Amino acid sequence: MMNLTQKQWLKHAVTHIFEGFEDMRWKKSGSLKISFFILILFFLAEIAHERLYGFQFYAVYDKTFNIIPYFIKTIVLFMAWTVGNWSVCTVLDGEGTMKNIFIYSAYALVPYISQMYINTVLSHFLVRDEYVFMQAIEIIGTLWTAVLIFSAVKSVHQYMVLKTFSAIFLTVVAMFIMLALLILFMALVQQVYIFISTVYTEIIYRIRV
Amino acid sequence: MKRILKRFFMLIFLFLAVGHTINLTAVKASPYISYNYDRWGDAVPSQAGYIEKRIVSGDDIGADSFNEPSDIFFDGNNFYIVDTGNNRIVSVDGSLENVSAIYEKFKMKDGSLTTLNKPEGIFVSDDIIYIADTQNSRILLVNHDAEVISEITKPDSEIYDQNKTFLPKRVIADKAGNIYTVLSNITTGCAMFSPQGEFIGFYGANRIEPTAEAVGNYFRNIFMSDKKKARRTRQIPSGITGFDIKGDFIFTCTASSSVLSDTVKKLNSAGKNIFADRNVSFGDYKLKYDTSHYKIPDSSICDIDISENGNINCLDFGTGHIFQYDEECNLLFIMGTVAEQTGGFKSPSAIESAGENIYILDSQKNNITVFTETSFGKTVHKAVELYNTGYYAESLDLWYEVLRRDGNYTYAYNGTAFALLRKGDYKNSMKYSKLAGNSQLYNKAFEEYRSVFLKENSAKIFFALLTTVIVFTVFGKIKKRGEQNQ
Repeated sequence: MMNLTQKQWLKHAVTHIFEGFEDMRWKKSGSLKISFFILILFFLAEIAHERLYGFQFYAVYDKTFNIIPYFIKTIVLFMAWTVGNWSVCTVLDGEGTMKNIFIYSAYALVPYISQMYINTVLSHFLVRDEYVFMQAIEIIGTLWTAVLIFSAVKSVHQYMVLKTFSAIFLTVVAMFIMLALLILFMALVQQVYIFISTVYTEIIYRIRV
Repeated sequence: MKRILKRFFMLIFLFLAVGHTINLTAVKASPYISYNYDRWGDAVPSQAGYIEKRIVSGDDIGADSFNEPSDIFFDGNNFYIVDTGNNRIVSVDGSLENVSAIYEKFKMKDGSLTTLNKPEGIFVSDDIIYIADTQNSRILLVNHDAEVISEITKPDSEIYDQNKTFLPKRVIADKAGNIYTVLSNITTGCAMFSPQGEFIGFYGANRIEPTAEAVGNYFRNIFMSDKKKARRTRQIPSGITGFDIKGDFIFTCTASSSVLSDTVKKLNSAGKNIFADRNVSFGDYKLKYDTSHYKIPDSSICDIDISENGNINCLDFGTGHIFQYDEECNLLFIMGTVAEQTGGFKSPSAIESAGENIYILDSQKNNITVFTETSFGKTVHKAVELYNTGYYAESLDLWYEVLRRDGNYTYAYNGTAFALLRKGDYKNSMKYSKLAGNSQLYNKAFEEYRSVFLKENSAKIFFALLTTVIVFTVFGKIKKRGEQNQ
C-alpha cells in the first residue's frame, strides 16, 4: 500500500489536498532535492512572470534588471516562512522538524508556481478581453496553494484546525518581526559604517594637515 | 619607420580635421541640448523641432527699449506688446521689423485723457483692444485710434468679495464678446464679464489637489460644528496664471511648483475641464539637477498659447523650457532654457505663436526671442496634423521620415503603429507599438494578427491537434499494455 516514488508522492500530495500530506507523513516520505528544485522553479517563475509577460498586458521597464528583489520575494520569503513556522510551532507543541516544514511547504507551492508559468505562456496568446481566463487560473492556483499550505502545517505538526489557523497567523507575525529586526540591523550597520568612515576621513585629513 | 611616421601624421591631420568641423557646429549650437521623453519617460536627446532664429529688442523695432514687458499678442497682422514698465502698448508689424503704433494715452468718452499704470495683459479681436490695466484695477476696451470704448472696474456684485482687490493680469474675449480676466489673488477662477461689461461670475476654477491632507480634512469636517469649521484654515486651490482661447475652448495654465493637478486645462463653454479625466501631464517628468545654478529648478507653467493648427505651447518659467503638445496632449518638442545666450531666458513672461514661429517675451532681458520651425519640426507637424484629422495612411510616410531622422521619437512609433493597424499590416503594427511602448495598441494589433492567423491556418491547427491526441492515446495504450505484460 502506498509504495510511491518521490515524484508520485509529490503528485499525490498536491492532488489530495486534505489527506495527501497526512499520507506523506505516515510513510515518512518527501524529498529535500525536489523541494529545492521547486524553490528554484519558484524563483524563475517570479522572474518570468515579471519579465517575459505578454506585451499586450503590460510594458516592462527593461532598461535595468535587478535580481535581488526577485530573490527576496521568493527564496528569502520562503526561508523566513520556514524558520518562522518552525520557531512558532516548536513553542506550540508542533511535531514537525525544520526539514519537514521545508519540504511540505515547498510541495504546497506547486499549484501557485504552475499558475505563474501557465499565465506567462498564455499571456502571449490571449488578448486583454480574455484576461478573465488568466484571472481564473490565477485565483484557482492561489487558492489551491492556500489550502495546501494549511493542510501542510496541519499535518506536519499534527494540529487541530483552529490551532493551525493560529499557528499560521503567528508565523506571519514572526516573519514580520524577523523583517523588522533585519531592517533594524541593517540600519545599525549603516550607522556604524558611517561612523567609521567619518572617523577615517577625519584622521586622513588630520594626517595630511 | 617612415610608414609609421606617415600614418602618425595622417592620424593627427584627421583628428584636426574632425575637431575643426565639431568646433564649427558648436558655435552655431543652442545653449541647451534639445531633448524629448522616451517610452519610459526618461529624457533622451532628440532632434530640435524649433530653433532660435533671432532676438528682437525694443530698439530694434524703432520703439525705445522695453522695460519689463509682460504680455505679447498677435492678432493676425500685428503684434501687441505690453510694455509694463513704460506703461504703454507697442504695436509691431507681423515680421517684427517696424513699429506700427505706440499707445500711451487714451481718450475717454468725456474727452479727458487717461494713462496706463503697469498694464500686464492684452487681447485684440474685432478691432477692439482689451488691456488689463493692472495697477489701475480696470480693463480698458479701446479701438485702434486709442479711444476708450468702455471700462470695466471692480464688480459691485455679491459674488465678488469686496475685501479682495481687482488686479486683472491677463484678458481674453470670446467670439460673443464675453470678456474673461485672470485676477491676481483670486483663486475661484477667472472673472467673466458680458460684452456690456456686467460681471457674470467666475469661470473655470481649479480643483483642490486630493492630497492626503485634503482628504483627511474632508472626513474631519464631517464631524465638526460650523463654528469650528469657520476657524480652520481652508484648502484653497491655486489661481490661474495664464490663458488663451482657441475656437470655443479656453485653455488655462497654473504656475505652481507644488501643485501637480490642473496645471493645464482645456475648458469648454460650461467651464468644464476636458483634460480632467484624461491621464495627461504637462511639463517635465523628472527635473534634472542644474549644475550651473546648484539646485533642482522649480517647474511652473506661467503662460500658454494655442497655435493655429491646435498645438498647445506651454512656457515653463522655472526651467525656461517651452513644451509643445499636439491637441491630444502628446509631447512634440521641448526647447529653451535659462541662459544668457540666444535661445535662453532669464525671466520668460509670455508666449505667442504665429505661423511657423514661436515668440517668447522675456521681462528681464527685455526682448523677444523668435523660434522658428526646423525641417524636422515641419515634418512632425505635418504628420501630426494628418494623423489627428484621421488621414492615417497619408501620415505613414511622414512618420517613417520622422523616424529616419530621430529614432528616439516615441510619438512617431505610436503614429506608425496606428497607421499600420488601420492599413491592415498587423505584424508591423505590433512591432512598432512595441517600440512605442504602447501595450494597448499592441493588444489591438495582436488581436487582429491572431484572428487572421487562425483563419488562415485553422485546418493545419486542427490536424496538428488531432494528430497529437491520436499519438498520445496510442502511446498511452502501448505503455499500459507494456506494464500489464511485465
